[in-house]
Amino acid sequence: MAKQYRSIGEEVWKNKVEKVNAELFIFTYGSLVVQLIKDYEDYHSVNKQLDKLGYNIGVRLIDDILSRTNLEKCKDMRETAEVISKIGFRMFLNIAPSVSAWSADSKEFSLILDDNPLNDFCELPPRAVQGGLWYSNVLCGVVRGALEMVGLLVKVEFVRDVVRGDEVSEIRVRLEKVLDEEVPVGDD
Amino acid sequence: MATAQRQSLLKLDNKATKRANMLLEQNVAKQRRDKVSLNAFALLFSEIIQYSQNRVLGIQDLESKLSEIGYRVGLRVFELAMWREKTVHRETRVLNTLVFINTVVWRTLFDKQADSLERSTESEDEYMITDNEPSILKFISVPKEMSSFSPGAFISGVVEAIVECCQCPARVTSHVVPADGMPLRTVILLKFDKEVMGREKQLEAGK
Amino acid sequence: MAIHSVFIINKAGGLIYNRDYSTNIAKLSSNEALILAGTFHGIHALASRISPVSRSEGGKDTGIQTIDTANFRIHCYQTATGIKFIAVTDPSYMQLSDVLARMYGLYSDYALKNPFHNLEMPVRSELFDTKLQQLIQSS
Repeated sequence: MAKQYRSIGEEVWKNKVEKVNAELFIFTYGSLVVQLIKDYEDYHSVNKQLDKLGYNIGVRLIDDILSRTNLEKCKDMRETAEVISKIGFRMFLNIAPSVSAWSADSKEFSLILDDNPLNDFCELPPRAVQGGLWYSNVLCGVVRGALEMVGLLVKVEFVRDVVRGDEVSEIRVRLEKVLDEEVPVGDD
Repeated sequence: MATAQRQSLLKLDNKATKRANMLLEQNVAKQRRDKVSLNAFALLFSEIIQYSQNRVLGIQDLESKLSEIGYRVGLRVFELAMWREKTVHRETRVLNTLVFINTVVWRTLFDKQADSLERSTESEDEYMITDNEPSILKFISVPKEMSSFSPGAFISGVVEAIVECCQCPARVTSHVVPADGMPLRTVILLKFDKEVMGREKQLEAGK
Repeated sequence: MAIHSVFIINKAGGLIYNRDYSTNIAKLSSNEALILAGTFHGIHALASRISPVSRSEGGKDTGIQTIDTANFRIHCYQTATGIKFIAVTDPSYMQLSDVLARMYGLYSDYALKNPFHNLEMPVRSELFDTKLQQLIQSS
């Protein structure tokens, strides 16, 4: 299964998406983070705001994935995790974080980002580390927003990040609730 | 900004053309950079515009907000270009700076050269860089009630940072000037500071 | 050209896009169009409820895919995010899923990546209008 997703992801990346220079993307993201720090002056609020912006991106980005892949509905969280990594991350950032550390109930897992482009050129000042900034927090919001649109309510957060001095960058995803999609929202 | 009133700088100046080609070749040779999807950028940029829009009152404020975000990108792009193009020295002359932007900067950012670089025939301190189809604006449709808004303000911010790094500060603005089949054709207008133009004259005279 | 009109309905059943591409079809008032969208949305939901196989078992959308009449055919493609792309064609049009899927692609590009598009509001994008028209004319 994982292999099939890998090849779908690679096929989409190679043939179905236009590319842009990574540096333009990375610098623009960095500039946005600086803007948020100026606007909010508090790293926790910046984290929250990055998550919110990511959520807004995620609820739109999911249709980008679905309209380019013709994926069928995932049967369980393990499949969902593979799709997030091998198709989602691949077709936007050309990376595929490894999926690991499953909880016993198979509802919670980690995405290990060995190579997070957002972190390129990024060196956090000590006060940002102390202040608790999760520099790439936008990614959590993206995952949360995208999954919500297909009926999966999840909690997503960074637990480790190399730019904060950790050994790896790790995002923890936990399934909280599955929405019943057969009953359309707002249909009384 | 009628076409008749403009003259193509690159066509006029043979030296500039040669230099442009040289810079381009250098850059191509060195190009092995990672990419991300344009969709990722487009979604991020769209969100930046929405975020900024919620924090400003009018179109001008929105443009200066975007320009500010682009400005910081420009500073980094300049550093990167200087570091990468080891044979390129920091330009300080207006024409060289413009050619540098038109070629190296555009290629670093957009994988292509800008479509034209021209001098205004009306005032000699004004120059225009045109991109017929800025890829990063590809999906944007500006609503009619905001028709004066130019999302290219982000790009003008980048350019503003770079001319400052090259000691040629200018006021840089962005304008959507649609042409056939190119609804987002964007003209970046640079008006160089008086000091810059004065210095240029002295340098010309001292030649 | 055998595609007469296109409707896009959001997750909540609201009509977010509606264009006619031929004069062969009677024009609906905007109110009628809204009612048609809402009604179709409701029937689609009911249809998936009586489906013997649920989406989570079969993986595929379980709602209505086509409705046939003597003079035209309605095609519907519902995305996993609950958006419906609907086209009204001549009855001879058997298969339209490719075109509807491409409409989805255009929507995800020119509506969803446009900063001025609000998810709950109708799609107002000249670029989307143009691209969709090109797609309809070429199919």
